[in-house]
Amino acid sequence: MNALDVSITEWNLFWVGHAKFKRCVLPVMLSSKLLPEMEIEETTKREQLLSGITNLPVPSQMEKLKARIDMIASACETAERVIAECRKTYGLGTRQGANLGPTLDKAQAAKIQEQEGLLRAAVNYGEGLRVPGDQRQPHSSLPSHLMEVLPSGDGAHNFGDNSGVYPKNTSTFTPNGVNTQGNAMQASGGLGRSAPSPGTAGTPNFENVSTPPMPYANSPRSGTNMMNTPSPQQHLTPQQQRQKLMQASQQQQLHAQQQQQQQLRPSAASLLAQNTVSQLQDLQGQSQQKLQVPGQQQMQYSQAQALSQFQNRQMQAARMQPGMSQSQLNQGNQLRSHLGQFTGAANSAMFTAAQASSNSQMMANIPGTMQSLQSQSILPQMQFGLTGGHPQRSHPTQMMNDQMFGMGSTNTSSMMGMQQQQQQQQQQGVYGNMQGGGQNLQQQGMVGLQNQQNQLQNQMQNPNFPQQRQQNQQ
Amino acid sequence: MECVVQGIIETQHVEALEVLLQGLSGVPKERVRVHELCLKSGPNLGVVPSEVRLLCDLAQPTPSWTIRHVGGAMRGAGAEQISVLVRTIVESKASNNVLRYFYGIGYKLDHEVLKVGFAFRFQRGAQFTVTVTSANKMPKLHATDEAVAVTPGIQLVEITAPAAANNYNDVASSVTAFCEYLAPLLHLSKPGNSTGIVLTAGAAAASLMSSGGAKTL
Repeated sequence: MNALDVSITEWNLFWVGHAKFKRCVLPVMLSSKLLPEMEIEETTKREQLLSGITNLPVPSQMEKLKARIDMIASACETAERVIAECRKTYGLGTRQGANLGPTLDKAQAAKIQEQEGLLRAAVNYGEGLRVPGDQRQPHSSLPSHLMEVLPSGDGAHNFGDNSGVYPKNTSTFTPNGVNTQGNAMQASGGLGRSAPSPGTAGTPNFENVSTPPMPYANSPRSGTNMMNTPSPQQHLTPQQQRQKLMQASQQQQLHAQQQQQQQLRPSAASLLAQNTVSQLQDLQGQSQQKLQVPGQQQMQYSQAQALSQFQNRQMQAARMQPGMSQSQLNQGNQLRSHLGQFTGAANSAMFTAAQASSNSQMMANIPGTMQSLQSQSILPQMQFGLTGGHPQRSHPTQMMNDQMFGMGSTNTSSMMGMQQQQQQQQQQGVYGNMQGGGQNLQQQGMVGLQNQQNQLQNQMQNPNFPQQRQQNQQ
Repeated sequence: MECVVQGIIETQHVEALEVLLQGLSGVPKERVRVHELCLKSGPNLGVVPSEVRLLCDLAQPTPSWTIRHVGGAMRGAGAEQISVLVRTIVESKASNNVLRYFYGIGYKLDHEVLKVGFAFRFQRGAQFTVTVTSANKMPKLHATDEAVAVTPGIQLVEITAPAAANNYNDVASSVTAFCEYLAPLLHLSKPGNSTGIVLTAGAAAASLMSSGGAKTL
């Protein structure tokens, strides 16, 4: 054997010896020596357990601990029973997915739908509550809150025209049924009568009130445009009427403020909304597929739920906050806020509805520990994210790229010209793309977008598109 | 501005909903008995009718009046993304001359409703007002004592939260998050969209009303 062999042999011997040595050490390591953190935890737990009874003799300690164990066991049994009952009610079976559950037959469902329609219409629009004028005789005794308010004699003649259809032509300025100067309003007696028009002197005011406030929709600085989206096709609403009146008086003040606000508006929401446009569209498609089973009723809310949760999640991600959104936090249940983070997927739309329903139902009855356990169990299932199954669409800004600027390499001056010409098309293109992301844009109105694009084009020096989109958003 | 969602619940489950809301909100419920008079401006006051609602709160010993103007809702693609309705609202307390005043300036009574139920007001990321009411119509003018429910078997649940133009997104997501908690009992949606009832609401209601089997340690 040469030296190498010797050394190898020695090395082998060394390893064997080492192994033997290790084998001798192992049993020692398997003794109750824990990692330091685990040890601390164990001591604290032990202290907690034995906090009240360490002063007693050991047998009585054992008894007390046994009693505790028994109580816990009975609580677990009760819980099991409740779970089993609920499983039966929901038809869940043992450890299986949710079944259909109870269903309504067609007649019942139709009846409920009809009732719901009645109720909603009555509350929101007053349908079904209008009493025709001839039947509107005052009750013999008015309720107390109206007795002093309404003059009892002729106080009940103020019935509006129930048809709800107001003559749209402007000839109402010379109103048919109302005399302008003949019946000057009788000072106090006129309270009960329908009020006559203020007279010819007031006619110019009519024109102000009745002209549709459309021209103000063009200005991005109009005060209330942020909240509403007037467009040429809309019917005139009292909202717009009020808008116009407001604008007339406050336009000066709001001018600068509005500009600032629009610029400073946080662009995160709209940016992300942009990013989520294509994904949201997919989301809708997917969730529609998944939600066949429970029927249409659940779909609506779950869909909207998934969308808004998704939006929520996206907003969180892009704001680059490690924490959760405030609304989730405020619920005070941190585990549930984890849920909020993970519920972005379309797959989870159905899940959320089912899980949330069972979850919150349990919440009412069972003490807090169970709730957290359940939430934990839901977590792994919810981690779909959006990576599964979504076709990768090109980034919306790129798409807008192509539509906004057909070429990437022309120089600035010619591009300016092109942009002016293309403005209309751009408008359409952007609009078409911005379905989901139009929150900010919508508020400024389409025409406002035009104006801002004008500004944008004037400022633009190089085709750095993502940046420009940001600017446009602001 | 306010964010608002509405839903319906069967009258038999209203008690369970009350228990749930009580638990979620932590505040005592308030009785609601509101006589709502909806006034429309007469045709001589312009082409577009203006509508204003006068709410008389009859639950208090002395009735108090509120003027409420519901404005247009936010529209467009952005609004469709949000699952709550965001609309402008103007509310103001008024004296009890308000009815006479509006009659005097040319408004006419369009319809009236009596809403009876309860409400919870609490703070949970936004200032929530959850009302559960049954809408009653009056066969005779102003006859609040003879009011009859429009839909006896179903009551309306409405959740509103005030919002401003710069935070309505957060408020909307708070409202949506809260609606999740009510999912076992009812579906909530924008006021124009109908939702139907929750089929398993009965089981959920039963478990809410039962005392459970919990023992204390």
